[in-house]
Amino acid sequence: MKKRLMLLLAFVLTIGTILSACSGKENATSDKEGKDGQPYEIKWYTIGTPQKDTAKVFEEVNKYLKEEINATVKMTQIDWGDWAQKSQVMINSGEPFDIIFTNGTEYVQNSQKGAFLAIDELLNKEGKELKEAIDPSLLEGIKIDGKIYGVPTNKEAARQTVYTFNKRLVDKYNFDISKVQSLEDLEPMLKVIKENEPSITPMATFKAYLPFDYVFNNEMPFAFAIDGDREHVINQFESDLAMQTYKTMHNYYKAGYLKEDAATSKDSWPMDVENWFVRMGDSQPYADALWSRAAKYDVVSVPAEEPTTFNDSVSGSIQAISATSKNPEKAMGFLNLLNTDPYLRNLVDKGIEGVHYEKNEDGTIKDLPARIERYNLPTYSLGNHFILNLYENDPKDKWEKFKEFNEAAKPAPTLGFHFNSDPVRSELASITNISKEFYPALATGSVDPEEYLPKFNKKLEEAGIDKVLKEIQKQFDEWKSKQK
Amino acid sequence: MKGGGAKILRKKYRDPQHLHPVVNTIISVLLGILAVMCIFPFIYVIIISFTSEESIVRNGFQLFPKDWSIDAYHYLWGMKAQFFHSYGVTIFITIVGTIISVFMITFYAYAISRPQFKYRRFFTFLAFFTMLFSGGLVPTYIVVTQFLGLKNTIWALILPLAMNAFYIIIMRTFFLKSVSESILESARIDGASEWRIFFQIIFPLSLPGIATIALFSTLGYWNDWFTALLYIDEPNLVPLQSLLMKIEANLEFMRQNMDVAIMQQSLFDTIPQESAKMAMVVIATLPIAVSYPFFQKYFISGLTIGGVKE
Repeated sequence: MKKRLMLLLAFVLTIGTILSACSGKENATSDKEGKDGQPYEIKWYTIGTPQKDTAKVFEEVNKYLKEEINATVKMTQIDWGDWAQKSQVMINSGEPFDIIFTNGTEYVQNSQKGAFLAIDELLNKEGKELKEAIDPSLLEGIKIDGKIYGVPTNKEAARQTVYTFNKRLVDKYNFDISKVQSLEDLEPMLKVIKENEPSITPMATFKAYLPFDYVFNNEMPFAFAIDGDREHVINQFESDLAMQTYKTMHNYYKAGYLKEDAATSKDSWPMDVENWFVRMGDSQPYADALWSRAAKYDVVSVPAEEPTTFNDSVSGSIQAISATSKNPEKAMGFLNLLNTDPYLRNLVDKGIEGVHYEKNEDGTIKDLPARIERYNLPTYSLGNHFILNLYENDPKDKWEKFKEFNEAAKPAPTLGFHFNSDPVRSELASITNISKEFYPALATGSVDPEEYLPKFNKKLEEAGIDKVLKEIQKQFDEWKSKQK
Repeated sequence: MKGGGAKILRKKYRDPQHLHPVVNTIISVLLGILAVMCIFPFIYVIIISFTSEESIVRNGFQLFPKDWSIDAYHYLWGMKAQFFHSYGVTIFITIVGTIISVFMITFYAYAISRPQFKYRRFFTFLAFFTMLFSGGLVPTYIVVTQFLGLKNTIWALILPLAMNAFYIIIMRTFFLKSVSESILESARIDGASEWRIFFQIIFPLSLPGIATIALFSTLGYWNDWFTALLYIDEPNLVPLQSLLMKIEANLEFMRQNMDVAIMQQSLFDTIPQESAKMAMVVIATLPIAVSYPFFQKYFISGLTIGGVKE
């Protein structure tokens, strides 16, 4: 017995030594970088399909960065679908890196966990210009317990839900879409389309929209009213609006305006086949032009609500500095340049001039085939939009319109409030399951809300919704009292 | 090895196929239905891969599509660079991985199957322990990326899957059962070294067991996508199944983030259409389906983890 114990001990010790030897070596090498005048290598993880020309472009980037801030950047892209899982494992394992893309609830959770650095002080030192360049509502909106944990992309800070129509059909039947304000207003048009256009599904599958400010998302029964009582959290599924909207949706469903599998279908409704008449989406300035270009036929939108700045619209794209970063100052220095220096910003986003894009005389640009094929980066995830070159077919006032849009938006009641769900975790788990069961069927009109909405609410009650509502209200009141 | 199979049959002395005709018919029909149910999805996938995209969008999946087309395969030909590269990676890790894995498992299993080996109980326990308690995802990730430094190397796809405690236990039982100690003893008396005993006596005698383990490893490596998800960022090292998963995962991402997807047209461009995805499944699955019959004959001798009385 003793012998066996000794053997085990020896084994564990050997493994331990080997492992610590390995990690020790790695620490030694990476510490050296950044000192002795060597440029520090910034490890940057961001979202998107890895591109073939990344190394080529970053050679240029690094040449510039070495001169400006004595640093180089190693950018690694992680594919869209892999992102959530992979980034989480990387963060949980304490892997050393400097900058990482994050958004939404992941940003909130990881910040609360301490995975990201609070950058308020860095912003005041290394990020001065950056702080001035960014829309203040963005920085305000991503504060967690009063601290900023990342650099939001300076773009549209507000969200506006719109009804988007197929323009060909709107013109053909002379519909006056400017009067559309609610779901009910669509009825006469849907009827005409249903009767006259057999190959067109009148409504592309969508879930009826309820204009609230959601604590989690629109499936979960926790919302603040945008107009009226902005101080109290409610279950939006108990509101008259929900009943009325879902009733309308159910009538549409019965009339055959929606596909029969609307509730269960997981297929996105791609725009590239012209087989729909109306859909819902989130808009931004000149979205119609963008969508029309993507679809290759014209679409036209009318707003379903006023532009509003929500938590999720400001936290849609954030670059955070990791708590494992060995040189946060350099990382911030890089982010500062990326968001304020037009040369660097365009280089990272569009690639090398003459290789990936061409510049016209008036300063607008045009993609070359190499940009589409070999260096197609997701602009929204990288940084400040307003210092990007405009494309030749972009409207000249594009960025001004964005700024106007942001300024016109009013803040949502919970902007800057982030709920800590730890105290009610088990209730939330069962509520999530119940919502997943009921919400899709109700929101697509597949079932009769008179029957199913009360059932839904009853189940939510049994799952302890009151406890969660109380907890949200408590945290909201605390947060509110700290404001001003 | 055929002799071994025949002997087992003879011992039972009753032809297992000799059933009452009615029972036989019922069972045959039931098994036939089961077989069709197993094969049908794959046939369906093949049909969809030959359906035109327009027809899928308008009519959904159909067993007898209105328009047939080979556009999907044409599309795959268009992305052949990445596709064949991934194919090559998969074949490489499957072959190399299977070889490494078979040797590591048989070595380990043989050692702990021999009564002369003093620490066999300890090492059996060591292997067995990992079946009950695994380190979990994050510690595994730390070991592979930070201690072993395998991230973005082909070894990250091979080594984490090379050892499998369950297979070790299976092989140990197989060695115990199929190789009698007296053969080894006589070999030792004749002066054979341990290596010689292993390769010239143990190995041929245990071929059915080893072939089974090899098949398990082959399937494991061929179907693995998760290790690539964790450890590989380089497009050059992405295996085939991982490529398929990526496409599927990207599509899922698009569904959940329609606003991002619509603003980011490039997302749509990287994702093949429905029929092309099915065509990829066909091409990714066929080789392994075809190779299965070659292993299948070894299964006749069966597998046991214990409990068989000689």
